[in-house]
Amino acid sequence: MRDTFSTFHPGINFLLFAAVMGVAVFSMHPVFLATALLTGALYYRRLAGRKARRFLLGMIPVFLISSAVNPLFSHQGMSLLFYMWDGNPVTLESIAYGAASGAMLVGMLLWFACLNAAMTSDKWIYLFGRMLPALSLVLSMTLRFVPRFRRQMGRIADAQKCVGRDVSSGNAAQRAGHGLKLLSILATWALENSVETADSMKSRGYGLRGRTNYSIYRFDTRDRMLAVALCLAFLWTAACLVSGRVRMLCYPLLEMNALTPLSLSAYTAYLALCLTPLLLDLWEDVQWLYFRSKI
Amino acid sequence: MALFSIKNLTFTYPDQGPTEHYSAQPALRDLSFDVEEGEFLVICGKSGCGKTTLLRHFKTALSPYGRREGEVLFRGEPLAEVGQRRQAASIGYVLQSPDNQLVTDKVWHELAFGLENLGTPQEVIRLRVAEMASFFGIEGWFDRDVEELSGGQKQLLNLASVMAMQPEVLVLDEPTSQLDPIAAGDFLSTLHKINRELGTAVVLIEHRLEEVFPMADRVLVLEEGRLPCLDTPARTGKLLAGRDLFAAMPAPMQIYEGCGGPGVCPLTVREGRRWLREVCDEAVREDGEPPREVCASSDRSASGRSAADQAGVRRGKRAAESARTPLIEAKEVWFRYEKELPDVIRDLSLMVYPGETFCLLGGNGAGKSTLLSLLSGIHRPTRGKIRLEGKTLDSFRKNGLFDGFLGVLPQNPQCLFVADTVEDDLSEMLSERKDLSREEKRERIRQVAERTQIGHLLKSHPYDLSGGEQQRAALAKVLLLEPRLILLDEPTKGLDGFYKRTLAEIFQELKEAGATIFLVSHDIEFCASYGDRCGMMFDGNIVTARPAREFFRGNSFYTTAANRMARDIFPDAVTAEDVVTAYRALQRGGEDGTHEE
Repeated sequence: MRDTFSTFHPGINFLLFAAVMGVAVFSMHPVFLATALLTGALYYRRLAGRKARRFLLGMIPVFLISSAVNPLFSHQGMSLLFYMWDGNPVTLESIAYGAASGAMLVGMLLWFACLNAAMTSDKWIYLFGRMLPALSLVLSMTLRFVPRFRRQMGRIADAQKCVGRDVSSGNAAQRAGHGLKLLSILATWALENSVETADSMKSRGYGLRGRTNYSIYRFDTRDRMLAVALCLAFLWTAACLVSGRVRMLCYPLLEMNALTPLSLSAYTAYLALCLTPLLLDLWEDVQWLYFRSKI
Repeated sequence: MALFSIKNLTFTYPDQGPTEHYSAQPALRDLSFDVEEGEFLVICGKSGCGKTTLLRHFKTALSPYGRREGEVLFRGEPLAEVGQRRQAASIGYVLQSPDNQLVTDKVWHELAFGLENLGTPQEVIRLRVAEMASFFGIEGWFDRDVEELSGGQKQLLNLASVMAMQPEVLVLDEPTSQLDPIAAGDFLSTLHKINRELGTAVVLIEHRLEEVFPMADRVLVLEEGRLPCLDTPARTGKLLAGRDLFAAMPAPMQIYEGCGGPGVCPLTVREGRRWLREVCDEAVREDGEPPREVCASSDRSASGRSAADQAGVRRGKRAAESARTPLIEAKEVWFRYEKELPDVIRDLSLMVYPGETFCLLGGNGAGKSTLLSLLSGIHRPTRGKIRLEGKTLDSFRKNGLFDGFLGVLPQNPQCLFVADTVEDDLSEMLSERKDLSREEKRERIRQVAERTQIGHLLKSHPYDLSGGEQQRAALAKVLLLEPRLILLDEPTKGLDGFYKRTLAEIFQELKEAGATIFLVSHDIEFCASYGDRCGMMFDGNIVTARPAREFFRGNSFYTTAANRMARDIFPDAVTAEDVVTAYRALQRGGEDGTHEE
């Protein structure tokens, strides 16, 4: 699935994810949590396509278990519901807190899954490489080495299997011995071949003074407009939370802000923030339909 | 002013390590030559003759450590005094392995890497990267991870990322040795295009001489660190005739020299065809008969009975005799790696008989290596049966398959080396054998080392050996298990003609000892010269499998250069020697005719 939001500047990507997750985690507000949870699920469905179903279904037990754990162990709160078999009280507040933390956990998992799909390695390197240029190159090289080593390991394992050195057969000692042998071959191979990599780097001038960092990302008008919109939505939500106009307290007694125009505006702002990726896609689809109808 | 002037360069490696006899003598001896502006210079020579050592003197960052006499001048200035920054940009260096040279994880980042190092501003990098991507046709995979690319694409990327720095000269060390013929052809023609259209000078070590000779301005031949000749490609052939190195020359040149060298030396198959037509007409015209028909008839009588051809018939016959009990029998085998992925092997049937050398040819991704993994039991076919000596793979005891029956040599011999010396490595192979005494083990290792011609290398570290020697050391390891069936994955990859011949000798000995060899290869010339039967794999299936000679005679494109050159005159001739023998016979026929008159 093509995701319009991923094509924006990495800074924008990062800003959105940080805002969505930050608000949900620090507010623990049921409306925000529910918003994050549902939009996260929708966005993940959009990104992962059909494969998303299993992951989403798997989230249900995670939610149930994590909500059930809190009332089992936490007995704070003033609204006593009943006593457990061991004589400990179960309170409405602890159930509510458990549900909220379950929703938060699942919501965060979903948004992290989206983050993982939308923020590819080179975007991270671009964002954080500026602080430490050397680190960004190391990261990039590591990302190159990991799949390479994995592939070579497979080749070595096959080759060794064909001379009767199979890791998957024999007794434990033999298997461990063969496994170690594989690692030693891989290590020798890696060291030997890195000499050539070093030559290639040296011959292309690595180590000269004044290295620059090239990136394929540009911050254009589209990015600027979205950045402003995201910041406004985030700041408004955050202001409402910080000022206490929108709040949620679990202990000692459940207490939530009333539904006022102000709180409603904060909910809407956060919803807009969470729905941004989906809305962008929708907008794109509409535009395409419109263009096509003109032809 | 010449781009590079090498003046009386002598270089000796320091005297240390297990291979002392190498460093006792200089690696380069008193070399003097110039590389001109915009020139295409090809360096050739046997493995270990100092080619790479010489090439590394073209850039101080890569110069080997050792005793050096003489000078290397870059545009009249001693190279050591040219700044690192200028060297990095103006002298582009491409090495052998496509993988090892890549530094970063993304194609675009790799293209920009050199320019980043030089401190080029963003906008300039953007332009240069874009230019290079379009020049090399990389736009399609610009955003990809480098790991997803094929070997050929990786090597093109290496070239492009060096070109992005706008070098004045490109120095390449066997850049195509790890590539298949199609990718190698692409790479070399891109190189030619750079040389022609951008005027960048090229200094190239290469042993695919058939392809580079027509591009080259001059050829530099190295022999044991000396420079016996530096001349145009056509004259190089003349100068080398009779030497060892001549076997590496393109087939048309070999045929030309073999036939006594009348007329102008042909470099390409096209020139070769025209030349052969002329000389054949000439040879027959002495007879007074109409040339065309005699040519046509004489190939039935004379060349059809050539010695080489008879050997082929004999080989084919031997294969037919043992036709009753196939050693490998694959019947309607299908295979795919995962359920959702397409089939890699489709409806493949194959028979290999005891005592033959079966060569499986085919393009990249035709499923050759996958077939090997099926035969060696690493993967199981999704449908169909594979029997080895009449037994299914499952019925072999665990590891019993690899003990005394099946030996598999992987494409990269380095996958097999575990110890610090070749000798330890070989004895490791027998370490789990309790039934052998120490003397017996030593004796076996000695025998195997002798058979694979690595006796003098036993004390070296496996990684210090050259490609061909590594291949043989790995083969020795496999042979210690005394296999009767040996599977090899591209055994000639990266080897020069000399090593190939050694390998072929070893195969011959193994066959005489009763082993069966099944090899997968891109190397048409090798299979034509040494295979008994050849098969061609395409789209997961073996399209045809026939005795070698018949196989190459039947193909029009997928065949040896010698056959392509001579096919309408001597359709039976497959190797350069065949053509020469046929031509000699034709000449003799012509002379006999004159005598009778």
